[in-house]
Amino acid sequence: MSSNSTASSCWQRWNRQQVNPVIFEISPSGQPRFSRIHPLLAELLRATTLDPWEHFPEGCARLLPPPGTDEELCADWQDHVQPELRLHFDSERAVVEADLALMKKGRGKNAFFSLEIPLDHADAWLTTLNALRLALVGDHGLTEEDLSRNVEPDLSSPRGLALMQVNLYAFMQECLIRAVGFPDGE
Amino acid sequence: MTMEMPDLLESPETQLSERFDRSWLVIVHNDPVNLMSYVSMVFRRVFGWNRERAEKHMMEVHHKGRSIVWSGEREKAELYVQQLHGFLLLATLEQATG
Repeated sequence: MSSNSTASSCWQRWNRQQVNPVIFEISPSGQPRFSRIHPLLAELLRATTLDPWEHFPEGCARLLPPPGTDEELCADWQDHVQPELRLHFDSERAVVEADLALMKKGRGKNAFFSLEIPLDHADAWLTTLNALRLALVGDHGLTEEDLSRNVEPDLSSPRGLALMQVNLYAFMQECLIRAVGFPDGE
Repeated sequence: MTMEMPDLLESPETQLSERFDRSWLVIVHNDPVNLMSYVSMVFRRVFGWNRERAEKHMMEVHHKGRSIVWSGEREKAELYVQQLHGFLLLATLEQATG
């Protein structure tokens, strides 16, 4: 399991080094909001709408794992449960895509973006971000060591960019988990 | 062989029924990608646990590689595994031995 602090610390360090780091806050209407999103990060966010089965086929086996070792159960699962799960992931991704279409851009050539996520869409975001993180890790062969390495990824390589995405999405997941909260006040 | 079972039961009635049905285990396995906070959140969502219990099982997954999160009849166990897969956790179903 990835430690929360490690998974996104690299990204947070990179974020802090920016003149205008991304800000996460709860809007006056109670919705999670990310603002001052750099155009590069906005592009990485838009990548969350990519169909992992189409774009990261090597990493997708992890998204639909077998339910055990019993052959009959696994065959039944493949025929009946996995298609349902895939539809579920597709519909969650469609929610994310609709939210991203409302991402706002400021004025000017290199203007920042802001994104407000309706609280009742948080589960769709958490699932979609998680699916993409798992698919990216599998597709690029990222190791546990890569994920826990507290150094800035080499953005000139596809692997480094993938690591940056994985860390950015981890940061967003953490923010959303905090925003969702629980009825007992936690 | 004795098997360490999680403290899952809420009432004596449930305990009794659970004992008769205890034949299938839902097990969550460690993976290096899922965030600890995410796994805890999923446990709370799926099983309705409080934070302490969710974190206890999350830490068991983290340190021991797996945690038995539910036991009982097969049909319900399959539904839990399906729900956990819906949140992209590595979960399996195993028949209890002994």
